[in-house]
Amino acid sequence: MGRRVAHWGWNVESFDFLRHVTIGQYIPGNSVLHRLDPRAKITVVLLLGAAVTFNGSYLGHLTLLAVTLGLVALARLPLRFMLGGLLPALPFIALLALLQLFFTGQGPTTLSGHASVSLWQWGWLHLTTASVQLTVISLARLVELIFLVSLLTNTTPLTGLTHGMEGMLRPFTPLGLPAHELSLIGTIALRFVPVLAEQLESILKAQASRGADLHLRGRLQFIQATRATIVMLVPLFLNTLLRAEDLALAMEARCYLGGKGRTHYVRLRLRNLDYIAIVSAAAFTAAALVWRNVL
Amino acid sequence: MDTRLTVRRIVIAGLLAAITVLLGTTQLGMIPVPTAAGYATIIHIPVIIGSILDGWLVGSILGFIFGVMTFITGQIPALKDPLVAILPRIFIGVTAALAYRGLRRWNEVGAVVTSAVVGTLTNTILVLGMAVLRGYVTLPVAASIAVVQGIPEAVVAAIIVGAVILAWKGLTAGRRKADL
Repeated sequence: MGRRVAHWGWNVESFDFLRHVTIGQYIPGNSVLHRLDPRAKITVVLLLGAAVTFNGSYLGHLTLLAVTLGLVALARLPLRFMLGGLLPALPFIALLALLQLFFTGQGPTTLSGHASVSLWQWGWLHLTTASVQLTVISLARLVELIFLVSLLTNTTPLTGLTHGMEGMLRPFTPLGLPAHELSLIGTIALRFVPVLAEQLESILKAQASRGADLHLRGRLQFIQATRATIVMLVPLFLNTLLRAEDLALAMEARCYLGGKGRTHYVRLRLRNLDYIAIVSAAAFTAAALVWRNVL
Repeated sequence: MDTRLTVRRIVIAGLLAAITVLLGTTQLGMIPVPTAAGYATIIHIPVIIGSILDGWLVGSILGFIFGVMTFITGQIPALKDPLVAILPRIFIGVTAALAYRGLRRWNEVGAVVTSAVVGTLTNTILVLGMAVLRGYVTLPVAASIAVVQGIPEAVVAAIIVGAVILAWKGLTAGRRKADL
């Protein structure tokens, strides 16, 4: 029987899930960006992210692209590694870009507020300066944000990120925002990803050794694929929830009371370099927002 | 309803967030289906399970984490916009929890399944709605994506959430939970 073995064949290596987890991977280094305080880095990324999201001009995005590329060079990060994740999504990105290019031209003005000029029309397809600008700028935004997010996660270890996040949220504690609890949730989540990956691996090995058919992953066989997923997810969720009960019990048995009056082993301190980074990012973002409609 | 973040809630949110990250960063969170996008997502399922088990607060925190994750790993322009990727996901937890709380007295199984469907549709409709508002797709395109993607995702979510919650209730019925 010629059964179609889909694009995800199962062999021993394919049970090894963590190999493919590249998100937020910390790349050790000693660049200026590695040495910045995590709070400063988060602030800079948020500011530049706002500039990327709200600026709609060609000139602005040319500048932003140059700035983010400059930062990547400054952090001495491998460009190929950062863009590597894009490759499998390329056909889908191209499809969306084409849809955007030909179907979004109806508006009277372009993204940067200039009058839209029709360039080409054939039936439903309508190419205007507005749709060209929207497509080009959406793609530029995608690349810039990939650079920005990678700049943060590739130069900051996870503990640095959670400490930084907690430090930034702490001023809001009097307003009822549980800063410490939220950062604890983040820490638990990141700590348990490898543990759960291991768990998932043994679940799948157990199912496969009992003869479960896990490699029916063709597009037209989604009912079987769903069934295979249930077999995998239900034990994973139940094990995780049992683990959560145990962990909560263990923490309470040790009288864990949360953030009040807790001190830290590592204390973050902002230095001159951090202030310079924040001020220059703020100035740049302000400029990008003021001139968001030039060109 | 109590809205404090107890140790139990922190731990459950943390571990379910870990599943979200695990599903999101491997290809396990994507079930291949014959549509244009090629995949039905199941990454939002931990969010729905969290909101059924522990209410809207845990649900919205998990939704936020799900959003941040799609924002970081997203590879299409719309998902690199925080207003599209993060903001709408927070509401998955809220609507799923409300649907479950509202219907629980009527029928436990029905409430779980409805909550899964409501949570999934919240995700589909709000994310695509926001994408339309921000000009990434036009309304007719978004509507067709919503039908083609939303319906299989809702069915898959209903089955998986139902299986997990019922198995969990069966497991904990015999013993007292850690509610110190």
